[in-house]
Amino acid sequence: MKKILIIDDSAVMRNLLLDYLADLKFDVDACGDAEEGISKAVTGDYDLCICDMHMPKASGLDVLRQVREARPELQFVFTDSLPDQLSEKVQKLGTFQYLHKPFELEQLRKIIVGLLKPVRTQ
Amino acid sequence: MNLLGRAINPNLRTKFLLPISAMLIVSMLLASGYMLDRQSDSFRSELETSGETMIKMLAINAESGVLFESEYMLDELLLVLARFEVVRYAVIVNLDGKVLSSTGKCNLECLQHIKSDHTVEPGGLCYKRYAEDSAGVEHLLLSTPVTTRRETVSREHLGMSDQVGTGLAIEQQDEVIGHIVIGLSLETVNEAIAEGRVAVILLSALVLIAGIFIVTLIVNIITKPVTALVAVTDTIRQGDLSRRLDIRQNDEIGHLARTFNSMIESLQQSREEIEEYNRTLEEKIVERTRQLEDAQAQLIQSEKLSAIGQLAAGVAHELNNPLGGILGYAQFTIEKLRKSTSKQGTSKEIASFLKYVSDIETQARRCKAIVQNLLKFSRSSRSVDFETVDLNAALEETVSFVEHQFRINQVELEVWLSPDLPNIQGNLGQLQQVFTNLLINALHASEPGQTVTMQSRISPAVGEFGGAVELLVIDKGHGVSPENLKKIFEPFFTTKEVGTGTGLGLSVSYGIIRDHDGEILVSSELGGGTTFTVVLPVQKSAASTDTGNRTKQSNHRQEES
Ligand SMILES: Nc1ncnc2c1ncn2[C@@H]1O[C@H](COP(=O)(O)OP(=O)(O)OP(=O)(O)O)[C@@H](O)[C@H]1O
Ligand SMILES: [Mg+2]
Repeated sequence: MKKILIIDDSAVMRNLLLDYLADLKFDVDACGDAEEGISKAVTGDYDLCICDMHMPKASGLDVLRQVREARPELQFVFTDSLPDQLSEKVQKLGTFQYLHKPFELEQLRKIIVGLLKPVRTQ
Repeated sequence: MNLLGRAINPNLRTKFLLPISAMLIVSMLLASGYMLDRQSDSFRSELETSGETMIKMLAINAESGVLFESEYMLDELLLVLARFEVVRYAVIVNLDGKVLSSTGKCNLECLQHIKSDHTVEPGGLCYKRYAEDSAGVEHLLLSTPVTTRRETVSREHLGMSDQVGTGLAIEQQDEVIGHIVIGLSLETVNEAIAEGRVAVILLSALVLIAGIFIVTLIVNIITKPVTALVAVTDTIRQGDLSRRLDIRQNDEIGHLARTFNSMIESLQQSREEIEEYNRTLEEKIVERTRQLEDAQAQLIQSEKLSAIGQLAAGVAHELNNPLGGILGYAQFTIEKLRKSTSKQGTSKEIASFLKYVSDIETQARRCKAIVQNLLKFSRSSRSVDFETVDLNAALEETVSFVEHQFRINQVELEVWLSPDLPNIQGNLGQLQQVFTNLLINALHASEPGQTVTMQSRISPAVGEFGGAVELLVIDKGHGVSPENLKKIFEPFFTTKEVGTGTGLGLSVSYGIIRDHDGEILVSSELGGGTTFTVVLPVQKSAASTDTGNRTKQSNHRQEES
């Protein structure tokens, strides 16, 4: 079972993703605090991280920077509620999937399946 | 005041006229006085000469009468004399003073001097004197001695004595034997003098009048232009520069007048220039002020819009998470319900739940669309793909989208596309969204039977400015009131019924065109129609470096679908 980590300060989004992805038979973990999320991502053996861009203590960009060193193989899907320069900065660090809230669940599912499939076939 | 001034400071005319006239009068008086004097002198001397001749003739003719003391002879003589009117009286006396004969009224006192006179210088001489008679009337008194020639040769030849040659003078001697006195009237002389005086006075007066007239004329010729000059100078001093001197002389005064006229001409010209300058200055100030006010209003407007934009961005940010939850849970629930219905067969209850949640999903999607539009209006950093856009093609495609709506509303859509429109850099989808908004707004404002015109055209490059393309949407519909015109770009401003319009169309268009470095302009007349003009810049080189910066990676597009 693939392990997915959700980092989002919005409780409703967190809960939604937890319920939805659990229903899709993923091993889902979630936290609302960016710093806690970073340590979880670094220490845990997650396959995918769904990370919000705008959080109080650190941005999605900070999460990416700090986690990538330790876990270069970790896949990222970023979400944001306000399009701004952060998304551009994230793009510069590599090609990442990006979703603008509110997004369609179906779209998220396709992305996740797309990202985790190759790993599964290996 | 003026009169007093004039009396103290006589004008030029008076200065000329007075002395010249005075001179004329004085010289005329002197001349006529001299003439009168000469005239009476000459009249008197004429009388004297004729009187002398007369008395000498008388003396000669009276010789024998006196010699013989023949009163008869002498009376005859005086009778002839009395025929002359000029003779007032005549007296012949002998040496003793006895009156031998007389005629007229004689004043005997006159005779008293005679003897002494005649004894001093006897012989052939005539004495004359102006005397007065008893009545005090002046007359010319003439007296002469009556002589006879006494010859020592013989007394027989006495009657012949006058024929004797002068060579015998030694023997001959003139002897005084009596005296003759005549008084000649001065009446005719005086009359003649009086007549002459009248003539002289008349003549002098005539000459004087003519003289003064001519002098006045000459003085006028000299002073008239000067007076005109003064009058014009006065009007000019009062600020009226339109007057000119009408003096066409070829002398110094004419020259002065011409110089003066050209001086006033240039004065008037420079004054007009100053006035013109002042006027245009005022106009310029008014124009400048208006431009400034416009710019300020525009600034306020765009500040306001950008403030609204920031607010919209904040609202969008706050709404997106709950909206994401609502939409996601709705979709999740729908999925779950569908699964359970397929398992357990259609339960009525579940079917109605499915419908409710689907409604939630639909409304959440609508909210999502609104929020996305709001974000497009606010200066978002969401970069979109910029590509080379053939604006005419984009317009034609947009027309094909909306044509149907125009047809069912019976509004005609006319399209005028400039054939050689340059391509621009932009996002085709966003630009088409703008054109659609403008066309649908124009359609909503129009009545059936009216025409909406869409036009594309070029505004040429000038200097730094690389040129632009313009897209106009013109309708003849109900128009926008001036106070509403300020608000139409604000999000959620709408005059349409609730549910019909969100009031985001123009604010989104505004944001899109702003992100394209373009401008969206509106002019409207209430009841007369509205024209929207979209101005989009044309990059000088088609593949501008700017394009690269603004284009984002291709994978960003998928989430929009
Ligand atoms: N061509 C037009 N003629 C007259 N009024 C217009 C025109 N275009 C816009 N307006 C006015 O401007 C308002 C705002 O227009 P806008 O497109 O922003 O919103 P809307 O059309 O009301 O709603 P929607 O969000 O559906 O476009 C309109 O409600 C209307 O009053
Ligand atoms: Mg509209």
